[in-house]
Amino acid sequence: MRRISRSYRIFLYAANLLAIGFLVLPLVPVVLGSLQSEKAVQRDVYTLLPREYTVANFQLILSGGRQRGPIFEQVSYLPASVERFPAAFRNSLVVGCAVTLLTLVVGSLSAYTIARLDLSWTRALLQASLASRMVPLIMLMVPLYVLFRRLGLLNSLTGVIVAEVGFLMPYAVLILAPYFASLPSELEDAARIDGCTRFGAFLRIVLPLSTPGLAACGVIMFIISWHELLIPLILLSKPEFMTLPVVLAGLVSDYFVFFTLMMAICLLGLLPTLLLVLGLQKYVVRGLVAGAVKG
Amino acid sequence: MIRRESAARLAVLMNTPSAVCLALVLAYPVLYAGYLSLHEVSIRQLRSGEFPFAGGANFARLFGDEVFWLSLRHTAVFAGVSVVLEVVIALAIALIVNEGRVWLGRVTRLLLLVPWAVPPVVNGLLWSFIFNAQFGYLNRTLYTLGLIQHYVNWLGDPRLALGAVIVAYVWRTTPFNILLYHAALQGIPADYYEAAEVDGSSGWTSFWNITLPLLRPIIAVTLILRTTFAFMVFDEILAITQGGPGNDTWVAAWYTYRVSFQPPFNVGLGAASAYVLAFILVLVAIGYVRVVSRRIEY
Repeated sequence: MRRISRSYRIFLYAANLLAIGFLVLPLVPVVLGSLQSEKAVQRDVYTLLPREYTVANFQLILSGGRQRGPIFEQVSYLPASVERFPAAFRNSLVVGCAVTLLTLVVGSLSAYTIARLDLSWTRALLQASLASRMVPLIMLMVPLYVLFRRLGLLNSLTGVIVAEVGFLMPYAVLILAPYFASLPSELEDAARIDGCTRFGAFLRIVLPLSTPGLAACGVIMFIISWHELLIPLILLSKPEFMTLPVVLAGLVSDYFVFFTLMMAICLLGLLPTLLLVLGLQKYVVRGLVAGAVKG
Repeated sequence: MIRRESAARLAVLMNTPSAVCLALVLAYPVLYAGYLSLHEVSIRQLRSGEFPFAGGANFARLFGDEVFWLSLRHTAVFAGVSVVLEVVIALAIALIVNEGRVWLGRVTRLLLLVPWAVPPVVNGLLWSFIFNAQFGYLNRTLYTLGLIQHYVNWLGDPRLALGAVIVAYVWRTTPFNILLYHAALQGIPADYYEAAEVDGSSGWTSFWNITLPLLRPIIAVTLILRTTFAFMVFDEILAITQGGPGNDTWVAAWYTYRVSFQPPFNVGLGAASAYVLAFILVLVAIGYVRVVSRRIEY
């Protein structure tokens, strides 16, 4: 590495600080807000750092509204989202895991035929996957609402899972197909000479070799499912089925908004995907790049 | 020959699950939306289950609706401004990260995806707290820095509200572009720059003559992808402004949502407006498939 001048080094430090500021500064108010009482936020409106901190917001939310503590004792109205948080968190987990698993199964089957079986129509399938990412979700939701209403799939997690799998599957294909194509085909050929069927080779050779690719795809699918608002918002109206984004969206139309509670719920809602992204960054990066460019 | 046939049969079998998914959740709804857009479907028809044929009445009503045109205009502004910001900011950060000659660069790289990890609806809520007129952190910060004397009502001002939503949206979506630009930058061989330096070319001219031309394909991809997603923006609108103040932040997806899923549940009109949005996106998508298909080499 060549030596760099002092002024250029200072410039680089400043530029990196600016970039880091852009990436994380908007999250600071979430943390500060979640650790204050609503009273404090609305009283000291000109200060940046709070004078006192409290974890009462988190206690209230994590106990589903039961552990009120001194701050919330006098409060007559609490947003419904507080009570719904624990169940919504569970629902989001169930939906996220099911969607991840199903898109991986369905997506990898298709992606393999695109990457390995040299047929003209599987290539067209890839283009169809690309094109289907451009279909506006809101357009699908209008007919899906009518359709699911008839099929009795409104207000069930199954309905949400089916819709999300269908919507995300093309994206999974886009991420997995280039990964399968990048594997050397000699191993498969060897297995088939030893009497393995093509599908057997896919199961026993390609899939185990693709663990990093499957991990990349799986993390991305889980994160998108965790973030998804529109599908559950339209398909679910009963509180017991609501996923986290729907419960969060419910805070908006509340007749009295507790911003500190809202920030605490937000922090708890973004923590799972933030930890996934920071912990599995390598996979997420690889999957996102593959899905956008190579697909 | 036998091999070819068995491969074809296997391909059909292996694609059956995804074909079912595509048919149920993509193809059928798209066609059914077309059907709905030509029929009168509101709360009454949804209850009775009979949708009378309406011809072009939904489209006529749509094109006669001022709010629909307003929503399309806002969507165009939203997409145009957000895409430019996403590309410029992402390019700058990708270049900084790519330099990597100071240790702080590693911290930046670790944090690159933080905004992307934030759920869109959470992103909307957190920015609505930042922009709050009475105690938001934007006002607090600007006041502390001495840049404003009085607190600004960012979300209540018709001229500022759409801009505020754009800022929130761009913050969440820019990391995706950074990632792609960073990956592309790492693919540029260092000797290109060394050769340019031998020829006496400096930083800026190298950027214009080497970096930018080599990044052109990936910038094209991100332009199309980001334009499409910007046209679909929904979560941040719902969480920050709900279309307000007045109708000043109504966008296409919000329009479709409001007419379809708020009383009187005019699903027919919603389907018509969804079709118009989809038609605009088809034009963008054709460009995307063309650009990306050229890069497929299996």
